[in-house]
Amino acid sequence: MSAFVWAAALLLLTGTLLALPLLPAIRELRQNSDAEPLNVIQEHAGEIRYFANRFRAYLEPLEPILRESLISGRKASGVMPDGTEYLVLGSGTEALALPLGEKDELCPVLLASATDLTVSSNSTFSRDVYSRGHFVGGINNQYRALLAEEGLHLGAGSSVMRWVHACGELQAETGCKLFGRVSSDCRIRLAPNCKFLRLNAPRIDFDNSAELPHSFSEVIPASATPERRLHDGDFEIKSGEIFHGDLVVRGDLRIAEGAQVFGSVKSGKVLTVESAALIDGSLISAKELVIGTRCLIRGPIISERELRIQAGTQCGAPDAPTTVSATRISVAPNVVVFGTVWAREQGEAIA
Amino acid sequence: VAMIYVLYIIVGTICVYTVRHYWFTLNRLFGFQRHPYIDIDSADWPPVTVLIAAHNEELVVSHILEALLAAKYPADKMLIVPVNDRSTDRTREIIDDFVQRFPGRIRPFHRTEGKPGKAAALKDAMELVETEVILIFDADYIPGAGIIRQLTAPFFDPEVGGVMGRVVPMNVGANLLTRLLDLERSGGYQVDQQARMNLRLVPQHGGTVAGVRRSALREIGGWNENSLTEDTDLTYRLLLHGWKTVYQNRSECYEEVPETWPVRIRQIMRWAKGHNQAMATYAWELLFGKNRATLRERLDGALLLGVYVMGPITLLGWILALTVFYQGIAQFNGIIALLSLTAYAAIGNLAAFFEIAAAVRLDGHRKRIAILPFLALGFTVSIFSVTHAAVSQISSLWTKAEFHWDKTERFRKATS
Repeated sequence: MSAFVWAAALLLLTGTLLALPLLPAIRELRQNSDAEPLNVIQEHAGEIRYFANRFRAYLEPLEPILRESLISGRKASGVMPDGTEYLVLGSGTEALALPLGEKDELCPVLLASATDLTVSSNSTFSRDVYSRGHFVGGINNQYRALLAEEGLHLGAGSSVMRWVHACGELQAETGCKLFGRVSSDCRIRLAPNCKFLRLNAPRIDFDNSAELPHSFSEVIPASATPERRLHDGDFEIKSGEIFHGDLVVRGDLRIAEGAQVFGSVKSGKVLTVESAALIDGSLISAKELVIGTRCLIRGPIISERELRIQAGTQCGAPDAPTTVSATRISVAPNVVVFGTVWAREQGEAIA
Repeated sequence: VAMIYVLYIIVGTICVYTVRHYWFTLNRLFGFQRHPYIDIDSADWPPVTVLIAAHNEELVVSHILEALLAAKYPADKMLIVPVNDRSTDRTREIIDDFVQRFPGRIRPFHRTEGKPGKAAALKDAMELVETEVILIFDADYIPGAGIIRQLTAPFFDPEVGGVMGRVVPMNVGANLLTRLLDLERSGGYQVDQQARMNLRLVPQHGGTVAGVRRSALREIGGWNENSLTEDTDLTYRLLLHGWKTVYQNRSECYEEVPETWPVRIRQIMRWAKGHNQAMATYAWELLFGKNRATLRERLDGALLLGVYVMGPITLLGWILALTVFYQGIAQFNGIIALLSLTAYAAIGNLAAFFEIAAAVRLDGHRKRIAILPFLALGFTVSIFSVTHAAVSQISSLWTKAEFHWDKTERFRKATS
């Protein structure tokens, strides 16, 4: 065989090898099977009530049945347009008569009540539960998701896997595990030993924080845009000191007892706020953040790792909602937060 | 023989960028992901001013105004300022119509003269800005309802001077170029920017879908109207003064990418010139000056400044490699050379492709990865374009030719 043929064969082989990876590329280019813009505008990512609102809209076909059950006081059952079985209750205590009293009993249907709803203990609700009035749950129950148009009470040791929303006050007794989004249009009360991920309400009470909250407009003078101070290494704001301005510390930062900061502060390492300190701004830590007892903090509280809030501290105010966020959060009794608490891995109300 | 040492330096430099690509990608796939501010859901939101850079934007300006007016942000705390920079089309008329329809929400800045360029226009528009938080969008972007909050949230951190969101192409399916640009954007944001955020390096301010703190801007001397890429310039001046630029990967905004190669080439040449300009201005000071950047920020910042120089360097490397090969010069013969070459061919060349494939996987779109081999075409065009930009930039030192601003052409169809 001549050299020319060999050269041509080599060229052909090389060309074929080069073209091979282009074949799926050319096919995709012709078919345009994945040429839509990325679906990136996700409303549910930022709206804590997204699932609750969507569930309410999902229940719209049940509206006539809910009305009829309310008038007649009788049960009704059927199938939703997507094939989900439902059970509509006309009387709030009917659920207690359902065969759910046994331990580990499973309720596999969507449960909707036209009025207040009370469910027994030790039950698992594998479909969403809806109450047009108040909802009262027994102890050690497991829920997929819950929506109550008025107040909502979770018995001790209960779990919610996806989300729970109450238009009224939401109360979780000791030992509840709240894995998804927990929200109330009014107030959330968490007893000690509850675990949570994301809480949102105008007011969130850990255990009993009955005393009236401070209002920043009364106790703190409004500050203008403060100057920023940048400090390499560790820094301390001394006890009783009044500090004006934003502060960025690349090392550890300690805000001693009774100190007042009129601005926002950030620490690159550990940020410690001792008792009775007052921060008229945000608290940011790139690592660990510890907030002592009886502190008053106006702005967002962010820790990229651990956050511990000790008893009697107030975060935000009724007229200044805020966000408390960290990878892991532990909150002592008598802490009140106005707004959102968001633990990425685990949040815990400690005793 | 000197040639081969130059070649070694070039190969060494390329290897550094290769390692960087892999480091970023592996971090993004397996490392801890930092999104410290995205959880800020409830807050006493500060007043913000949203600047819209607009120059002859009659095709698109109404879309962004509508999107911003629908934003979930307290209306009394958000002022929209369209910066109409010497437009000769219907941009002014459209903006003024919105001003009439939404009284108190929009305060237009119509600029009829002055230095051309986005930075110069933004600088002049600062006279209307009274808020500490300033957000910036180009007129062809379509922000989602939650993005104003998301871009504002990082400013609760007193160390943050600048914020950058993620840019997502909306005209992906137009042609091969838009599909390639979609992949490049994925790699650049989903992997590169987020990895730099994760690793506390230097996320880059993009000048759109972005924000800046007014006091920080004032401290660093305001907008640099002499810069072709005011965003890169801003990133480095903030860094040198101890301000952080943070990247919010979940603050996404749609943009329109170029649909023709000449427009793309002009765009990347402008970026290259601006970036190189920033490198000449800040590289030395960043690496060796007395400034507030950390060591890792200095190193990453220097590498970031060099990305557009890598085009001509790679091209020079190819030329030198061929020359050295045909002249028969070799310092390391035999198995070492063969292993090095094979290793680089197997791993090094694929670094950028690996990064983009990882980004597409993170985005959850598997089929578009099929287009990946065509990226070689995009890279080749980019290498020659940025080399041309660098050469013309160097030659302008002698010819004293002035840089001029090339506005990126829009492709959106007009709506009634």
